[in-house]
Amino acid sequence: MPRKPFEIERDDRYMSRREWLSMLGVAGAAGIAGCGGDGDGTDTPGSADTPTDTEATDQTQTQDFGDTATPTATDRPLPEVSGTYDTVSSAAYSTLNPLFNTEDGAGTAIGYALDLGYSFTDQQEVFPQHYDLTTDDGQVWVFDIRENLQFSDPYGQVTAEDYVYQIQELHQNDTFPTADSSAWPADVNVTQNSEFEFQAELPSSNILWPQTFDPLLYPIPQDLVQPYVEEEDVEGMKQDTELLELQFTGNLGGYNLDEWNRGSGTSYSRSEDYYIRDIPNAPDSFAEAPYFEGVTTSVVQEQSARLGALETGEADVAAIPPTRFEEFRGKDSVEVYQIPQPYNVPLAVNMRDNGWNAGPGNLFRHTPFRQALAAAVNKNDLIEGVYRGLAKPHYTWQPEFSRWYPADADLPTYGTGDLYGASVAQDRAMQAFEMSDHDYSFDGDTMVNPDGDQVVLDLYHSAGQETERLTGEFVAQELGNNLGIDVTVSAIDGTRFDSQYWQGQSAEAGATDEAYGKTFTWERPSPTNPGPRSATSQQAWDMSLVYGLNTFPRNPLTNTAFFDGATGFYNPVGYYPEFDAAGLFEQARQATSIDELQSAFTEIFVNLAEEQPYVMLVFPDSLTGYNPDLVGPIENFSNGWNFPAWYFEE
Amino acid sequence: MATQRPERFDQVNWEEVAGAGRFSLSTNAKGLLVTTIPLLALAAYDWLVLDERTPTFEPVGLNVDVPILDYMFAFTLLLFAFYVVLPLYQHPRLTKYYWREFRRNRPAVVSLVWLGVVFVLGLVGPLLITSPEQNVLHSYQPPVYLSVNAANAATCAGEVVDGMCFGTWQYPLGTTRAGKGVFAMLVNGFGITLKIGFISTFIAVVLGASVGTVSAYAGGWVDEILMRYVDIQGSWPTLIMYLLIIYTFGGRLWLLILLLGTFSWEGMARYVRSKALSISEEEYIKAINMSGASAFRVVRRHVVPNSASSIITDITLLIPGFLLAEAQLSFLGLGDTSVDSWGQIIAGGRDALAFAPWIVLAPGLVLFLTILAFNFVGDALLDALNPEAAAEAER
Amino acid sequence: MGFTRYVTARVAWAGVVTFIIMTVTFVFIAFAPNPEVKRAATQAALQGGDPTEAVERVRELRGLDQPLHVRYIDYVTSIATLQWGWSTMRSQPVTAALVEALFYTAQYSVPWTLLTITIGPLVGLYSSANKYSWRDHVATGFAFFGYAIPNFFFAIILLLVFGVWLEWVPVIYRTTVPVFSVENAIQLVLPVFVLVTGSIGGLMRVSRNESSEYMNADFVKTARAKGVSPLRAYALHILRPTMVPLSTTMVGQLLLLFAGSSLLIEVVFSIPGLGRLLFEATIAQDTNLVLGSILVFVLVAVIGNLLQDITYTVLDPRISYDDR
Repeated sequence: MPRKPFEIERDDRYMSRREWLSMLGVAGAAGIAGCGGDGDGTDTPGSADTPTDTEATDQTQTQDFGDTATPTATDRPLPEVSGTYDTVSSAAYSTLNPLFNTEDGAGTAIGYALDLGYSFTDQQEVFPQHYDLTTDDGQVWVFDIRENLQFSDPYGQVTAEDYVYQIQELHQNDTFPTADSSAWPADVNVTQNSEFEFQAELPSSNILWPQTFDPLLYPIPQDLVQPYVEEEDVEGMKQDTELLELQFTGNLGGYNLDEWNRGSGTSYSRSEDYYIRDIPNAPDSFAEAPYFEGVTTSVVQEQSARLGALETGEADVAAIPPTRFEEFRGKDSVEVYQIPQPYNVPLAVNMRDNGWNAGPGNLFRHTPFRQALAAAVNKNDLIEGVYRGLAKPHYTWQPEFSRWYPADADLPTYGTGDLYGASVAQDRAMQAFEMSDHDYSFDGDTMVNPDGDQVVLDLYHSAGQETERLTGEFVAQELGNNLGIDVTVSAIDGTRFDSQYWQGQSAEAGATDEAYGKTFTWERPSPTNPGPRSATSQQAWDMSLVYGLNTFPRNPLTNTAFFDGATGFYNPVGYYPEFDAAGLFEQARQATSIDELQSAFTEIFVNLAEEQPYVMLVFPDSLTGYNPDLVGPIENFSNGWNFPAWYFEE
Repeated sequence: MATQRPERFDQVNWEEVAGAGRFSLSTNAKGLLVTTIPLLALAAYDWLVLDERTPTFEPVGLNVDVPILDYMFAFTLLLFAFYVVLPLYQHPRLTKYYWREFRRNRPAVVSLVWLGVVFVLGLVGPLLITSPEQNVLHSYQPPVYLSVNAANAATCAGEVVDGMCFGTWQYPLGTTRAGKGVFAMLVNGFGITLKIGFISTFIAVVLGASVGTVSAYAGGWVDEILMRYVDIQGSWPTLIMYLLIIYTFGGRLWLLILLLGTFSWEGMARYVRSKALSISEEEYIKAINMSGASAFRVVRRHVVPNSASSIITDITLLIPGFLLAEAQLSFLGLGDTSVDSWGQIIAGGRDALAFAPWIVLAPGLVLFLTILAFNFVGDALLDALNPEAAAEAER
Repeated sequence: MGFTRYVTARVAWAGVVTFIIMTVTFVFIAFAPNPEVKRAATQAALQGGDPTEAVERVRELRGLDQPLHVRYIDYVTSIATLQWGWSTMRSQPVTAALVEALFYTAQYSVPWTLLTITIGPLVGLYSSANKYSWRDHVATGFAFFGYAIPNFFFAIILLLVFGVWLEWVPVIYRTTVPVFSVENAIQLVLPVFVLVTGSIGGLMRVSRNESSEYMNADFVKTARAKGVSPLRAYALHILRPTMVPLSTTMVGQLLLLFAGSSLLIEVVFSIPGLGRLLFEATIAQDTNLVLGSILVFVLVAVIGNLLQDITYTVLDPRISYDDR
């Protein structure tokens, strides 16, 4: 996970979503998510034996993700150390313990004092920080650790032993619910090769392993955690002052944490012996890094106050809502950045038994009906009106900037052009009516159930999240106008929605269901994929905008989690793929070349666009304002990877 | 605190003096009964006959639905008409006297006019102007004659001059981010305000007055337990409880109204109790008791009417409290986002304060004026109902 | 009943009230779903473990498998011994969190309280001395303005004008500045101003009404006739008796605002005080911290009520101890 040393929640919507995602360890909180140090990335069960090495893979991925950093001319003098880099965030941190933190904001705060193992450059190449990752076959990965890494006294030098101990005794130990435990399942075999080298043997090959963020680790001194491990003292480790206050970080980060005021934020001072200065192959500008005297983060709840601070120069960076982007673009005191990102806004429709409360049956289960919903919502109007043009239409489970986006394929673009409007939508809906066992129909322009009453559906969005509410109202209007459905929009608290509506009560392991002539078997039901459609959450719901999801552009294989029906562990909506998802994902896993990979993904994404497992709406851009004197930010998905070289221009 | 005070004007038992009391009181009760029965019938019809989704008046061709809250509201309105407005009409001499006293406080008279406007707008407004629909393309339109940076408005409904978008009569007070007209929302907000004010007050008065009188008349351990409970409720951090409950169950308007009413009557109960205690010491009550009147009759005919002045003054303090509480909870994101209450408009517009101040200012100003008006009226009422201080000041 | 006995009884009662409230809170929490247990189940399921087993383990770890009365006794003991547990929301002991928050709350609430109890009664007295004149209306109007304008509304507008537009005060509250420094005073001016204008209205109103009762009382007239200066007459003969009922309102009012308004002010001005602590703990379902802060608020309210009653009996000798 590249270092994202700036405030990242632009719109509140991201917060709850990401909090939740990191909680479950589902999202590979790529790029924008910053260094959560959390359960980032899924266990991607790979099984291919691809001889392709990662370097080659990465080199083909250029420019896809946005601008690249302006190359620092070698003859340019290194910048002076000056000023403090002041950031604002909307929520306080609940922990800075790197082992247990699952929040983005706190991950950023930890990141100032403690780097992660590697990050991604603006060219999307792996940039080794604490260690380099190499593999020959994608199955055995060698971690090569730098030899100039020092913990604070008395812990001494960072060695392979520290990492191996951390992985084996913490992440792979059921007693300790560390944030990374889902990234290190027990079947990953970790062995130490030498003082500064260890290797991880995956159960099956995965040539894009670094891109899943699974091998991303914080260095933690073995001597610090050992007493707790021996005592099996989870609480003790969570509450350890040295971990919480980051007192062991030595030269492993650009700054040292001076104070963590629980209610108001953190402050850091510059580290004099940052290891990154001496690493080979680093940009020249890292030579005297970092270039700020200190860093502060402040918790400011009110959005208007955060923006006010940005405007008056009290803060050097803040997220900007879409409605004020144009206004801030015109201001001299702020420089704005519009960065595309892979988190989407999907309309989740409940295909389980407690979905569709408008009559008998469940029309959401019929693909043409989901197409009808997608065709009824005008994506361009949504982008213009709600996002002020600062978003991209979402046709399939991949952002357009991704190299895996099926640009050449014939992708159905529901919600724009010919595939938008009442006639298209009603046409698809009528196909669905015919597939249904029940007698749904249109009475004029009104969709009616077998009793002749108008179809009424609920749509939930998170309370207090304005953009989401507007989107909800917009969707409700569009569905009302084009499909004659009466949609009731209600706000709900995110936590409550998660526990009572989203997460289901798991069925017995081994439960099965049949659809599309296939049999789906749930071997490992979990709250987020509780089983067949008969396994439901406590409360009934129809549609939801509460969660956005990651589309994993760096390694789309991770998307198996969403679309594999029975085996994917994230399927709250009860989606059964009609196309051969399992086979195609397997094909991608087995791919031996980029072209093979590309063709498998293309087929997957075309099918997803057709089936609309979630009714896909938009990809909002991330909008950030910086102090104009700041040199460093770029309009790239990896913005912030070279944060050590950022500085204030005189 | 049963400090003995000299006999006051409002303590004179008016019904006894006027002689018509016995009959007039039952006129009120009859009136209430006669009007409540159709209301109940409609409610029963809505509940039993029509299914959940059918609007109440659909059978007669009107597409008007009546939510449960509105039945409560209508009932409290009837109560207000028969037990506040009608008695004033029935006792012209007393009404005139109060009015004379009240009139001396000129801001209070202006305030009363404003409250009248709030009342009428709240009653009629929502029927004339329905809650506006979202129209994102018309977000952040400025009020008429004013302008906003065109960068902030999605598309401008009016003219654009030099990059500034000007307001139109389509949205006299501009629009919110959702493109809803602030004026229309405000008018609907008047209705919400009335509901909060009336229903919560009704709950508080019923609870407070009952506990107060029961406590005073039962005495002994009943009194002890009730008053101790009042103590506890007084010590309980109410806002925290609102937070806990609303956070757990979601901020629906009816829940909010129920909570506000249920946890605000301690003062009322104490007032009524001490009033009841002091009245029971009065000679005429002793006389009535000796002539064999039941305790219930004494409470209904003498204690409650005589505590009316304290109750009414207390109400003028309670209602602004309710309105503020609703606005505060909305501000914290715990209100009912599906209604256009003033608090909701303020909460929704605060992020846009820097460039679209009308969204916050319009409802804020109206809320401010209403609370202010209640305070002036309450103050004047206190003076009018406490003639001693006023009469002395005149000399 | 003598004074001592009355006070003893009153203190005992305050203890009982606290106890009852804490018990009710315990019951609330005991029957609410525990987020930690749920999280454990989720985690186990994700890692291929057995959710039921994980739930059992967490319940055991948290002592949730014990009978209710044992948990209740534990709960009462730990409250009494100040072992209020660990706040998961802030990763620090609950007591430390409360002390830290109180430190920031006190910085604005102390000046606020002092200013309110001095300005409020004075304005009221002034107003009643000039009853129904334009001065009365201006004074009343001013006090009512503050009382009627919603605190948070007033606060965001002031912050916009003085913080963002004029840049006279900082937009971000800095905890790093020393308590007694000009910077701290500047950043606290707005919150204190808003709070004071908000709270003097009530006090002013009571003192105006109460003092107008004494304004024309015979003893005041006598004093005036004897040639007592107006200032002395106001201070000794009117203000003093006025203070009796006023003290009740004063304590009550301030406690109410202490618990209520301060939350919104803290939210608007980003002050990490008690109100926000409780609010955030509620949202984050940090049970220990919620309990701890409720306890603090209850104690404040109970002690306040106690003081109020005692002050009342001390100030007004006419009130008998039997009749509350």
